[in-house]
Amino acid sequence: MNTGHEEHKLDAGFWRATIVMGVISALGMWGVVVFPIERYVPEAAGIAVKIDWLFKFMAFFSVPILVYVNGYMLYFTVRYRNRKGQPKDQPGSSIHDHKTLEFWWTAIPSVLMLVLGVLSYILIPQYYTARAATADSVTIEAIGHQFSWEFRYPGLRDPVPDELHLPVDVAVTIDVTSTDVIHSFWVPAFRMKQDMIPGMVVPMTLTPTKVGKYEIICTEFCGVGHSGMRDRYVYVQSQSDFDAWYAAQKTKQAHAPTEVTAAVLASGDAAAGQQLFNSRCTTCHNAAPFDKRKVGPGLANLFHDPAHPKLLSGKAPNSADVADILEHGLSGPMGQMPNAQLNGLSPKDIADLVAYLKTLK
Amino acid sequence: MQAAVGTAHVTHGHIHPPPDTFIKKYIFSQDHKVIAVQYFITSGLFFVLAGLLAEMMRAQLASANNTLLSPTTYNEAYSVHGSAMVWLVIIPILTGAFGNLIMPLQIGARDVAFPWLNMFSFWLFPPAGILLFGSFIWGAPEAGWTEYPPISLEQSFGTSMWCMAIFLIGVSSTITGLNFLVTIIKMRAPGMTWTRMPLFVWATAVTAFLSFIATANLSAALLGLLIERTFGVPFYDPAKGGSPVLWQHIFWFYSHPAVYIMILPAFGIVSEILPTFCRRPIFGYKAIAYSSVAIGLLSFAVWAHHMFTSGLAPWVQLPFMILTMIVGIPTGVKIFSWVATLWGGNIRLTTPMYFVLGFLSTFTFGGITGIMLASVPADVHEHATYFVVAHLHYVLFGGSVFGIFAGLYYWWPKMTGRMLDETLGKIHFWLMFVSFNATFLPMHWIGLEGMPRRVSTYDPQYQDTNLFISISAFVLGASMLVFAYNAIKSTISGREAGQNPWGARTLEWMIPSPPPYYNFDDIPVVLSGPYDYGKPLPYREIKADLSYKPIV
Ligand code: HEM
Ligand SMILES: [Cu+2]
Repeated sequence: MNTGHEEHKLDAGFWRATIVMGVISALGMWGVVVFPIERYVPEAAGIAVKIDWLFKFMAFFSVPILVYVNGYMLYFTVRYRNRKGQPKDQPGSSIHDHKTLEFWWTAIPSVLMLVLGVLSYILIPQYYTARAATADSVTIEAIGHQFSWEFRYPGLRDPVPDELHLPVDVAVTIDVTSTDVIHSFWVPAFRMKQDMIPGMVVPMTLTPTKVGKYEIICTEFCGVGHSGMRDRYVYVQSQSDFDAWYAAQKTKQAHAPTEVTAAVLASGDAAAGQQLFNSRCTTCHNAAPFDKRKVGPGLANLFHDPAHPKLLSGKAPNSADVADILEHGLSGPMGQMPNAQLNGLSPKDIADLVAYLKTLK
Repeated sequence: MQAAVGTAHVTHGHIHPPPDTFIKKYIFSQDHKVIAVQYFITSGLFFVLAGLLAEMMRAQLASANNTLLSPTTYNEAYSVHGSAMVWLVIIPILTGAFGNLIMPLQIGARDVAFPWLNMFSFWLFPPAGILLFGSFIWGAPEAGWTEYPPISLEQSFGTSMWCMAIFLIGVSSTITGLNFLVTIIKMRAPGMTWTRMPLFVWATAVTAFLSFIATANLSAALLGLLIERTFGVPFYDPAKGGSPVLWQHIFWFYSHPAVYIMILPAFGIVSEILPTFCRRPIFGYKAIAYSSVAIGLLSFAVWAHHMFTSGLAPWVQLPFMILTMIVGIPTGVKIFSWVATLWGGNIRLTTPMYFVLGFLSTFTFGGITGIMLASVPADVHEHATYFVVAHLHYVLFGGSVFGIFAGLYYWWPKMTGRMLDETLGKIHFWLMFVSFNATFLPMHWIGLEGMPRRVSTYDPQYQDTNLFISISAFVLGASMLVFAYNAIKSTISGREAGQNPWGARTLEWMIPSPPPYYNFDDIPVVLSGPYDYGKPLPYREIKADLSYKPIV
């Protein structure tokens, strides 16, 4: 049927090209094997190492597929292009099937897929949606909010905002949920991610293996503040550091029940508050906008400026919470704010101060 | 062979006179070719708008804590960009435009089965576009093209407009699917058995089936969202007893088949162009045809691979993972068959061929990252990061859009009667191919490193890569201008194409360009498959001039 076109065989050029591609593939595959993933994204959980190997397994076999598909495509295109003087409508080879070839290019990917499927399945139950079974394992609740995280620890009265502390080498189950919209809790260093879905509690289990500080990122669009749900960290600590942190949380939270009751708060006197502010607070705070900080932030717009950041507790400023800070002090990234005892403030003083702060605009 | 001719049903039916008024001819036309052009123009316009939104996003992302766009504007931009690209650009161009233009011609029919429905289906499309882009007035949707509740329940009225827009497109898609299915089943020329159909028709048949079956699910989900937003009936809001995961299931039960609605016709285009310019039969005709069917059927059973972090139990994840991996096999078979078609050809490197080769290269890459996403443990890291953004652009842009341009360069002469400029076409290709890869390849890496998708600001460590991506994206956008210029130039002063400028063998090339009203004077009789270069043409009762002089 072939009208005069040269015989099509797998000629020497074909085999040469095949060998060249084999060499390129081998180099690429070697590159995949030695690639130091952990240098770019730390592997901070037992599972992370395994997932990276799974990823390398996939990349390893992807390399020859990419090289051979692109390579043969380019080689054939150059080798069989219409040349000067060759009639443009001269037909090419009439071969339109090759059963053996087709069998192998179906069978080999199928086998690879099967192996990948098995490997993947072996890894799933080890960490995902399963509970840690060991006696010393920890269970923590992670709750997503617009736009912060809240972590609840057994034995701690109050949740810890935006900071997750985990003891190293202890299996932990994190019960993941949300109070508003869907968020997704991702720690790249753990290679783990779980959507936080309101109305659902999903456990995720892992064992952190490397002490360090790793970013937590929200990966499900959750509103205007979504892009900002990063720069919060999980701290993997030695058992003793973790215990110390936990004990400090406990003491911090163990303060007496508040004495600044709503009734006291309501009786606040702004003028008295102003005097107190000028004598006790101005060492660290200006009565100026937020960014005019001394030791702590400027407090002028605390209640009225919608642009004022939320309190360090993650809440929008309100009387009760401000009173709480004045009473119990605060430790944040800027440093320590002393509590009422150290500042010598009575509940009535606090009420006056809150009343004064509310008048500032 | 003759026996097959006898069994096929000959539909000679009488021919209506062509419409005589401008409105009937060009506005409310029922001619599949005019409707196709209407789709091309409308989707082309939306392509420009959605592309401009993308450029706005890339401008914002050029630096880490940029304040060019407010977070809200940024969110609106990517949501409308994604929705428009999927529903107003790729699906309508591949089905409405290419399906309408080519499929009836390739099966030797005078039109589709239901021309009035075809017109109706088109006219649902512009209002959908107006609703979607008009939503900016009230505040466009912000939660991406997937609009997961409950956040989509809280958004402004624009999200309801989004629901209505996509609902209209859905109805249009369903009708077109039905129309094409009936056309392909009932109106093939005598002698055109299933295995003599051109591969684009095979692809269109499977696509039509998917559109017809899957789209109704999307419509149901959208109606639910609209009702909940408007009347508060709680389907999805967990606070009132609904389930947000329900939306995800229904949405992806449609949207996974939808990704095949967006790629199978491009596969079809590639399968037409390769034999023409290799001047040899496509390798593995049946493998390519049947793998489309396999992909189509499997696509209904893999939807939860978009939900591996949505809290499904491992035993639920397992079948979805395995089936997703299995989809890769027929896809691989197609790719290998296309490459094998190049072997032993007499290859003419025309612009359509450039785009086909570009398609093969980029789509293969996207298919491979697809497998990487299918593996649950790997996906749990990759999901909802820039890795997914990269994957979906490799398949949707590198696959569908490269396929669309291949098809445009290939059938432009048939549609308009004039050639496009080959040199400009190749400039377009190289600009687009290089800038496409420069834009989307680095996204894989920053995604794996820790950059989530759908953010308007990001960690400064990704700053340099993002700047590079943004610059590449502007070049990518600019490459489209070359095509626009080429199209205008061709319309004004393009060379006459003649009937069969590429020397192809499918039926659309056997009639004048552009094809006359009612396409075929006499319905042709088909004697064998379309790709046997070197053999006599397999058609009887074609009055057309069969001697062609390939131009390029
Ligand atoms: C071998 C073929 C393919 C496989 C195995 C595959 C697999 C996947 C998987 C597992 C995901 C989910 C990723 C995640 O969110 O974690 C995904 C996402 C996606 N894929 Fe593919 N895919 C393939 C081809 C395609 C094709 C042909 C298209 C379209 C033409 C496509 C379009 C998309 C889109 C749009 C998304 C993103 C959805 C989103 O917004 O979350 N894929 N793919
Ligand atoms: Cu979030």
